[in-house]
Amino acid sequence: MSSTATQGPHSLAFRVMRLCKPSFHVDPPLRIDPFDLLSGEDFSDDPSSASLLRRHLSSTDAVDSDLSYRNRFLINHPTDPIGLSGLLLLPQSFGAIYLGETFCSYISVNNSSTSQVRDVTIKAEIQTERQRILLLDTSKSPVESIRTGGRYDFIVEHDVKELGAHTLVCSALYNDADGERKYLPQFFKFVVANPLSVRTKETTFLEACIENHTKSNLFMDQVDFEPAKQWTALRLHDQQHPPTSDLAGLIPNPPVIIRSGGGIHNYLYKLVPSSDVSGQPKFQGSSILGKFQITWRTNLGEPGRLQTQQILGAPVSRKEINMRVVEVPTAIHLNRPFSASLNLTNQTDRQLGPFEVSLTQDESQMEKPVAINGLQKLMLPRLEAFGSNDFQLNLIASKLGVQKIAGITALDTREKKTYELVPEMEIFVESD
Amino acid sequence: MDPTPPESETRPEFTPSSADSTVQSINPVESRPEATTPFESVPSRSNSLDELTHDLTSLHDLSTRGQYQSILEKISQSKSLSLLTYPHERLTYLTYQIISLIKLRRLDEASHELNSLHDLDGEHYRYETFPEIYPNRKGSIVPFSLRWIHALVPIKLGDRQEGLDRLYTLLDFVRERIKVKEAHELWRTREVFVMSCLLGFHLGHKEFGVALELVKELLQRKPFDPVLVSKLGYVQLQFGDVEGAKATFRRVEKMGDETPQFKNLVGRNKALVHVVEKDFVSAVREYEECIERDSFDVVAVNNKALCLMYSRDLSDAIKVMESALERVPTVALDESLVGNLCSMYELAYVNHGDVKKTLNDWIARVAPDDFDSSCTRV
Repeated sequence: MSSTATQGPHSLAFRVMRLCKPSFHVDPPLRIDPFDLLSGEDFSDDPSSASLLRRHLSSTDAVDSDLSYRNRFLINHPTDPIGLSGLLLLPQSFGAIYLGETFCSYISVNNSSTSQVRDVTIKAEIQTERQRILLLDTSKSPVESIRTGGRYDFIVEHDVKELGAHTLVCSALYNDADGERKYLPQFFKFVVANPLSVRTKETTFLEACIENHTKSNLFMDQVDFEPAKQWTALRLHDQQHPPTSDLAGLIPNPPVIIRSGGGIHNYLYKLVPSSDVSGQPKFQGSSILGKFQITWRTNLGEPGRLQTQQILGAPVSRKEINMRVVEVPTAIHLNRPFSASLNLTNQTDRQLGPFEVSLTQDESQMEKPVAINGLQKLMLPRLEAFGSNDFQLNLIASKLGVQKIAGITALDTREKKTYELVPEMEIFVESD
Repeated sequence: MDPTPPESETRPEFTPSSADSTVQSINPVESRPEATTPFESVPSRSNSLDELTHDLTSLHDLSTRGQYQSILEKISQSKSLSLLTYPHERLTYLTYQIISLIKLRRLDEASHELNSLHDLDGEHYRYETFPEIYPNRKGSIVPFSLRWIHALVPIKLGDRQEGLDRLYTLLDFVRERIKVKEAHELWRTREVFVMSCLLGFHLGHKEFGVALELVKELLQRKPFDPVLVSKLGYVQLQFGDVEGAKATFRRVEKMGDETPQFKNLVGRNKALVHVVEKDFVSAVREYEECIERDSFDVVAVNNKALCLMYSRDLSDAIKVMESALERVPTVALDESLVGNLCSMYELAYVNHGDVKKTLNDWIARVAPDDFDSSCTRV
């Protein structure tokens, strides 16, 4: 980690190393099977040659000297070429650190001077934008002395719950050889980033897309959706194939691992109103659906955990008015007016309207590819409860190719409510 | 070409056959006339590898001592003195040469030598092309290692995609031979070799999907190999499936064996689970039992040291590493172990330059030629 230099000659110095989990050394080695080197690949085809070679090899094996580096050249076990012996490596660099992970560090305070220091009080804190968190404080029982060349070591841990700049502040208060009370602060900065983003889409289904922003692949240990009181959630996922009989259970079903640097995985839930909520009001405001608890693991099971904010659902209300395109001509030509049949339906149990049908003017004032030809507003009479009205709209297309009939709205002039044409209709515009 | 077989200058005990006077004009490696004495007719001078190839015992010996410089000198000498008479000798020497160059990290030269080869499946490299030398022999003279090296070099030069393509092509080649040959045990071994190599490269790049597929295929061939099944556990730990790994290690334990090797394997697996659960004290205890059973178990030694460090005992961690290097240098002298020790030095000493230099000097005296001392970061 980067550290800022301290002023004045200090007898003590802090050495710091982040202690995330060690990792397996993986490196396919350059080691061979003598049968593959000492003769041609088809030499052993006949049994007498094969036994000849075997005999010679075992006679060389018998001579085993201490100065042999044979394990760097010959393979012992058929799986040696994998290069995964189970040997662990210390972390080679600080690495990246993400919200929800645990920051762990080895801290060593060394006396590199030529004389003893006494009465050492050591403190370690994490300083963020919002707060200062104490990790270690020996002021109640200070270290009596650290001899020349000696060290005092400690390990600190902190669950990272904030984003952004963090500073590990290590400080030592001590009496040097001259009896002078000295103060040594050292600062190690690091930045905490956001590991995941969770995007949701829902109707009565909730689809969550989890995207991995870290530099490691994340093994998704647990992704749990906790619905709000008024919902019950059912996780939907594909049927797992039964494991093959000879490997029964040895290889688990494919684990969910989200690739580093932008990999995604989707989770799908069906939301059902809980049985104790009576009926379903037609026009609810936005509702809270619930939140996700996510636990992931990386190398050697290093855990991280996060909770999302409450996820909100769109208004559950049914639409009062439905306007849609019923029919368009089979051939539509550029800049030639055509007639589209539309339908306006009243889905409520009361009279609504009259309506004014027009094209919305959006902020850009750009010409819409499909516009109303002639009078820009069409008046439609009131509609009875559950009634509907078929009408024609005269339209004109000003662009070639696949275009959308969109942006047409019906304004209820009495209740002052606007309804959009849904769904948008695609048409193909040919040239003259 | 000169039809008269010349006397072989360097093998006075051969009697050149005068009856067989045709010289094979195809010479893929050097342009000198072939000796025509059948290879199999060489009288057995010793019951050793030299019977197969000139001075092979010495080459084998040097390779197991890590003396690759000497191997290269020997090869260059044999070329200048024209000591090699048979195609299979030249191929074996060429393979040793390329391997040694790679070991010494002289990759451009290794690549250059590889490029001098003709198509490995061509006539040049088949026994039946030289019936006067190999009267009853059929098949490929190419040492399988040479094919493997041909796939490895691009990866070492940085062209990972080309190397992987070649390895997969090699795997297909091996699988074809398994289908076609009757006696294919050796080829099955080679199949496991290539699959293992591919698995290592995919794991190194964290390509866990492909890696798991390869592990599955390996397990289909050897479902009861405790070392292989343990490696599945390590892969699971690598991507974080702790429960999966624990289940895998339990299966290994049931494969019951009383040998010290097996007990150490089970012990090391148990220790890894302790490491994951941050119970470093128990991990250290497991590793100590392993070391007591087998003082050459360098994985246990290295991992024990790391666990000591994670238990805040940096001093003892360093002692364990240094003592191993002193006690069992031929196994402890490993770039990863030394790298770990240097990380510990950097943490323990403000002026770590001196202690690392001392280590570096010792390594220079004791280590084999191929030891990569950049791991000391001096």
